[in-house]
Amino acid sequence: MTFDVWTLGFQAVNVLVLVWLLHRLFWTPVAAMIAARQAAAATLLDEAGAKRAEAEAALAGIAATRAGLAAERDAMLDRARQDAAAARETLLAEARTEAEALHDTAKAARIRAAATLKAHAMDEAQMLAVTIAGRLVARLDGPATEAAFLGWLVQGLAALSGPERAALAAEDLELVSATEQDIPAQERIRAALATVFGAPVVFALRTDPALIAGLELHAPHFSLRNSWRADLARIAAALGETDGLSDAA
Amino acid sequence: MESPLESLPLVMLGPVPIMASVVVTWAIMALLVLGAALLARRLRLVPSRVQTAAELLVGTVDSQIRDVTGAPPAPYRAFVGTLFLFILMANWASLIPGITPPTATMETPAALAALVFVAIIHFGIRGGGLRGFLRGFARPNPVMIPLNMLESLTRSVSMFVRLFGNVMSGVFVIAIVGSLAALLVPIPLMVLDLLTGAVQAYIFAVLSMVFITSAVEKGQPEPKDI
Repeated sequence: MTFDVWTLGFQAVNVLVLVWLLHRLFWTPVAAMIAARQAAAATLLDEAGAKRAEAEAALAGIAATRAGLAAERDAMLDRARQDAAAARETLLAEARTEAEALHDTAKAARIRAAATLKAHAMDEAQMLAVTIAGRLVARLDGPATEAAFLGWLVQGLAALSGPERAALAAEDLELVSATEQDIPAQERIRAALATVFGAPVVFALRTDPALIAGLELHAPHFSLRNSWRADLARIAAALGETDGLSDAA
Repeated sequence: MESPLESLPLVMLGPVPIMASVVVTWAIMALLVLGAALLARRLRLVPSRVQTAAELLVGTVDSQIRDVTGAPPAPYRAFVGTLFLFILMANWASLIPGITPPTATMETPAALAALVFVAIIHFGIRGGGLRGFLRGFARPNPVMIPLNMLESLTRSVSMFVRLFGNVMSGVFVIAIVGSLAALLVPIPLMVLDLLTGAVQAYIFAVLSMVFITSAVEKGQPEPKDI
């Protein structure tokens, strides 16, 4: 059994050198590489965590946006419904107003048409009355009729007051007759007027067949209508007032 | 057959004998340093298979140190890890025909045990200071100082004897069986020797760490009772 001290020293130094060399070449570099990989993995995990947080934030943002879109859609639908309701009300009001206006216009047109028809009918009736009256007058005794109308003329003048007759006598008078008056007839008229005025009066004599029958006295400020035409006009006016009252009722 | 307890020098450099165990140790050193240098030049974040194995080794050593000491492994990693690697490679050198493992001679385990003894002192003083380290021998009371000092010696001696005995016996048994039986008969014993070599390397490294940790902890101030 031998124990060599030199070998002991060699081996001790050998192992110490090996420890130093492997410390520089193996243990430290490999441990550093492990630490670097762990750091890289930690960095990756941190980045992944950050990206995950970003993704979650983005998802939350999308969810909020969706909620906002839904709320906005509901609000838009509500606004659209309100606008549609308002538009419908407006259209209905406009249609109602237009209908009422059309109704009023139609009513006015109808009233106007009715009035026109009535006036036309009245005109036709007057024409018919005039025609009828003309034909009836043709069958009557002319002098007697004229005498009657002369009497009514005198009565009308007599109904005036004295000053009125005096003022009338001072004006330019025109006597209108339905038929031509011969000289005797003119004398009878002059005499009758002189009687009622109290003195002879000057007047112009004119013939107007439209009177149908009768004598009328006209002055610039006075007219005494004494003819069938005037009578028919008064009758027509009275009938018109009666119809107007009936329509109003 | 020469006795495994005797070492004959390969060459003599004057009065200095160069034993075979020293030459084998140099070869192992060259292999380890060359491999480490090649690996260190090719370290990447995406590891190769060799780098993965190296990182697994470093991670395992770190884990063992952390389990034993409860402290960061960096200060102890190089010493304990190199002890393990060297003893493992030295033990497994017996697989090469004609090579006697350095750990099968007394000088190498004795040198390793001596280094552990020095490392215990070194790390003990670094951890608790000289006073703290020396105070650790007086625990639990000064009466224990001689026994504690003797224990620190016998622990290293026991490590030396354990490693040398196990490896030497394995080599001795394989040599005897190989000289008596056919060529393939020692193979099961050689496989067993592989296992024994790995276990002895692990035991030596772990015991070194345990003893170093014990010295460091003894050097720390005692916690005061509240």
